[in-house]
Amino acid sequence: MSFEKEIEEHERRTQKVLAMGGEKRVERQHSMGRLNARQRIDYLMDSGSFLEIGRFARSDRPEDRDSTPADGKVCGYGRIDGRETAIVSHDITVKSASSSPINVRKMGHIRRTAQANGMPLVLLNESSGARIPDTMGAIGTGTLGQDPTQFVRMRDIPYVSAVLGPAFGTACWFTQLSDFVVMRKDAQLAISSPRVTSIAINQEIDPMELAGWKMQSEVTGKVDYAVDTDEEALDLLKRFLSYMPGHHGELPPRAAVSPGADDMAASLLDIVPESRSKVYDVRKVVSAICDPGSVFPLKERFARTAFTALARIDGRVVGILASNPLFKAGALDADSCDKATGFLVLCDSFNIPIVILSDTPGFLIGVEGERRKAPGKVINFMSALQMCSVPKFSIVMRKSYGQAYLNMGGTRNSDEMLAWYTADVGFMDPNVGVNVVFGVRYEEEPERFTQLVEEVRRDSSAYDLAGIFSAQAVIDPRESRVWLKRLLQVHERRPARGIGKHLLGGWPTTF
Amino acid sequence: MATQPVLSEITGKVWKVLCPVGALVGEEEPIMVIESMKMEIPVLSPCAGRVASLDVGEGDDVSEGQKVASVES
Repeated sequence: MSFEKEIEEHERRTQKVLAMGGEKRVERQHSMGRLNARQRIDYLMDSGSFLEIGRFARSDRPEDRDSTPADGKVCGYGRIDGRETAIVSHDITVKSASSSPINVRKMGHIRRTAQANGMPLVLLNESSGARIPDTMGAIGTGTLGQDPTQFVRMRDIPYVSAVLGPAFGTACWFTQLSDFVVMRKDAQLAISSPRVTSIAINQEIDPMELAGWKMQSEVTGKVDYAVDTDEEALDLLKRFLSYMPGHHGELPPRAAVSPGADDMAASLLDIVPESRSKVYDVRKVVSAICDPGSVFPLKERFARTAFTALARIDGRVVGILASNPLFKAGALDADSCDKATGFLVLCDSFNIPIVILSDTPGFLIGVEGERRKAPGKVINFMSALQMCSVPKFSIVMRKSYGQAYLNMGGTRNSDEMLAWYTADVGFMDPNVGVNVVFGVRYEEEPERFTQLVEEVRRDSSAYDLAGIFSAQAVIDPRESRVWLKRLLQVHERRPARGIGKHLLGGWPTTF
Repeated sequence: MATQPVLSEITGKVWKVLCPVGALVGEEEPIMVIESMKMEIPVLSPCAGRVASLDVGEGDDVSEGQKVASVES
């Protein structure tokens, strides 16, 4: 047979690369309950669709040429649920998946191809950071930064990240840039590893405090979901992508609606308590309004007063932003503003209409909030809201006071504002207002106080809001779904084919 | 067996304590109700387990972030 030698050699080299860091290191990965870099790709992508790019890339240091298959990052293109996707899967068995000029070049290529061709970028992050000794010294460090657009994020394509092990350096940076992040509970996400950090600051560091999933889910809000296994992580990436377009020039995919989807809305009068002092879980309201099984919460453990979720109504993807009275009676704090702002940026960037549900006594005021730059965050939220060009619908469920009324889509800050007949809109809580405006305190004049509260409250109804045409309709809560379905049909932005102006595309990815 | 602190998310007054020490609670189940802004705001258990301690009583003032109970999981 001709070319027998070349065929054999090619096969030998191929098998060597596919063996990654060798049997021992690959086995170690498995013993920790983790898939390896290539298995992750196989699990995630449609069978047979993966095309590897840069398989024979390797370290440019002669002494490392034979020990760096694919230079530690397996990259390429494949399909997820039939849609073209680009992927970078860090291979921890090869020099701890550390970054080098060659593999960074590979990642840049994958990213630019994804952008040019409108494919989401999937990052399976697990890396020790920059490769040592390669990046040491002026030559090592000075060689970095060859890609002046490496960290430009214009949200032309979705970026999704799974943190599947220790993720430092580039693995951490690209997680920060991502629209959706899922993290294994035994993984770590930080600038530098606990070990390096301990050495640098000469103190013992608790890895979970520095880089753990709880901190990243509850305190920074960077992580959307924390999971136990690689498979769960990859399934969640798939689920998120099913709500996204492949790029910002197209609409998200529409799904079928199960029969009986309209029936849930009838339960809304049971979910919301008649007594105004009682709270309820707004997540139940969201489930009753949206297509069954379609609600996909984001950052659920962070800033719980603001509930954010992707969902579907009538098969169409929508973004739900709802204040949750179950937490802090729905009062919006600094973190809630950040969470809401980030969510608006996501929806607007990917042509997803926004549905805002409001039941909030306003923004939480106090010294702690001011120290956390609450006013600035309130205004970031307003700027983002006003820069959205996707359709925005707002429903005032019960309370909507003060500036928060505006942030939650009040008056012309949404395309259509609906008010449940239980809506109660005013500048501030009447109990505070009577004290501020009339100087009457409950403790001193209980009867007069109560009477004044009643008077103030009388002018704050849904009908008053609709009377001046700030609300476009007063509805029974049970009509919410039907109204939203119909409004989504009307507000299709047909002249632009549903594609927005994307003014928020370059918004920061963390704040 | 870990004991997790239960923190009040809000400044207000303890209106009702719903469970005694030793009671079994589920994740996000209310342990007590705080009154603030004329609203009855439940303090939810961070995890499933047993109420290990109640650090405040009905009528006490509480601040945001104050430990009001603990749950042993």
